[in-house]
Amino acid sequence: MREIAEQLSAIEAAATNVHEDDSPATCRVCEKLRRPLTRLAGAAGFNSLLSRALTIAQREAPVLNRVHVKENGSLDGLSDEAEASAPVLVAHLLNLLNVFIGEALTMGLLREIWPELPGLKMNAPRKESE
Amino acid sequence: MNQHNKVRINKLPTGVPGLDEILGGGLPEFSFNIVAGAPGCGKTTLAHQFVFANATEERPALYFTVLGEPALKMLRYQQQYTFFDPTKLGNAVRFINLSEELVKDGLQGVLKEITKHVQDTNAGIVVVDSFRTVLRREHHGNREVEVQTFVQELALFLTSWEATTFLIGEYSEAELDNNPIFTVADGLFWLYQQVERNSVVRKFQTMKLRGQMSVPGMHTFRISDAGLQAFSRTLGLTGVKKKTVDRKRLSTGIPKLDEMMGGGIPEGDSLLVAGSSGTGKSLLASQFISSGLREGEPGIVAVFEERPDEYADRAASFGLDMETSLNDGSLEIIYLRPLDLSVDETMQALIDAVQRTGAKRLVLDSLAGFEMALAPGFRTDFRESLYRMIYALTGIGITVLSTLEMEEAFDKFPFSSYTISFLTDDIIRFRYVEIDGRLRKIMMVVKMRGGDHSNEIREYQIGPRGITIGDRLTGYTHLITGIPNRLSGSSGEKRIQDSKGRGEANDRGDKK
Repeated sequence: MREIAEQLSAIEAAATNVHEDDSPATCRVCEKLRRPLTRLAGAAGFNSLLSRALTIAQREAPVLNRVHVKENGSLDGLSDEAEASAPVLVAHLLNLLNVFIGEALTMGLLREIWPELPGLKMNAPRKESE
Repeated sequence: MNQHNKVRINKLPTGVPGLDEILGGGLPEFSFNIVAGAPGCGKTTLAHQFVFANATEERPALYFTVLGEPALKMLRYQQQYTFFDPTKLGNAVRFINLSEELVKDGLQGVLKEITKHVQDTNAGIVVVDSFRTVLRREHHGNREVEVQTFVQELALFLTSWEATTFLIGEYSEAELDNNPIFTVADGLFWLYQQVERNSVVRKFQTMKLRGQMSVPGMHTFRISDAGLQAFSRTLGLTGVKKKTVDRKRLSTGIPKLDEMMGGGIPEGDSLLVAGSSGTGKSLLASQFISSGLREGEPGIVAVFEERPDEYADRAASFGLDMETSLNDGSLEIIYLRPLDLSVDETMQALIDAVQRTGAKRLVLDSLAGFEMALAPGFRTDFRESLYRMIYALTGIGITVLSTLEMEEAFDKFPFSSYTISFLTDDIIRFRYVEIDGRLRKIMMVVKMRGGDHSNEIREYQIGPRGITIGDRLTGYTHLITGIPNRLSGSSGEKRIQDSKGRGEANDRGDKK
């Protein structure tokens, strides 16, 4: 999952140069996930998922402790230092999706947003205790 | 308007096996439908089956979720069903959450959002789950007019945009009166889940369906890994019995019995073989099936009390080879034992087997076992269900032989229990009689709708090659009481010519 998250960040980082968008790549990954997931689960649903993913990611990467999820589902407080660890957050968000709706639907969702994403196989959903 | 220029309403497949037939061929295209019922009765699964069966990229299905089951969880659970096609998600099937619009902007916000999505996507199918939660928020105070307006606007818009719509709601039957949504709907489908003693029985009812004839009444359905499967009360077998006088006669496999029946069982008849334990009912059934197999007529045996291999082994002990036919597919022995079956499910299993094998003969062994295999709630309707089943099967030309165990009484002689004789065309009765301190077996053809039959009471025996019927048992009166009187002056009676082991009750021919 981490590998996919890093690939998504890399895709968005590469797109930064093209679109001259200076927001952190991870923010854009989450933002792109937010739209379809909000349509699917509602704004509150996406907010809950991202908050849960952030909480788990903060245990793994304390540098994310200053990051929080805003009411509209966007990320706030993602410093340059935190950005380096931000794929952890994306990985946990994807892992949650994998837990809930499975690999096929999660990968389908990702490919819809990032058609250029190479064919990757997800790892088994990670348990929180791991 | 004459019959030639009326509008033709397309019927969409529901994706639910058996349901299209109940609805009269499928769901009318562009109809505005309500699926109602208590939580857990299968409403959402039904809608998903319809969606996955019909949605295309060109005419996608929009599945709106509103303040009900979160879509993520819905996807989590629904993808467990075999009909769920993940490749359709996102393009042909799209899930959209409208909770926020409802909370912020009320009914008009929901209507606006549905309108926008339908227009943007050219949706062919729209589902709102749960519609009840949409209305519940507004259904207070004096806002009923607003609710009614919303429902009418929604129905008008979705129909105009050629969308077939399902609104799903947890309604109770008490709400049927004066509810605008039910008035506007073209189709109203109710799902029930009833607990009857230790069994759960699911039922489906079409309470309203504009534009086409559906099969009335309650139909059972089951939810399995494949989703819902419905069982029509008629199972599509609406063939009308044609009782011609010159119908083909089917051999029972016992020549003398065929003679007594005027040449055999008229094809398409329902024959009941009644008698107490050990009288040879199952053996007669086996001989009947084997006789058909020898004539090239495939057969089905539905057993409820013993396993198919035991049944075939017992037939083999009488020289009846079922194994070959079982292997080549011309015979199926179906074991139906689950204790929560509905008659319709049983019937469906039999119909499927009939279609697989092209069966001409069917044995139900026995009716008592059949009744026991049903969920308790269905036992009360056993007679009515049996009637439907036998009528439907014989209507398509199947000859049905049912066995019925009778409690032996020595002061009366009922022809059958359950008061089911009315639903059989022919009845054969076996029974024990006590003569000279021995139990002997007598039989008679009690009834044949199709024509004349012997009125003789004959003795029969069960031997290594099956049932052998002798001549009329003379020299006695009151044979059918089981305790006959010897006629004065009579020195004895005619006996079976080649009988061996005469007068011995032989249990090999029947189950315990």
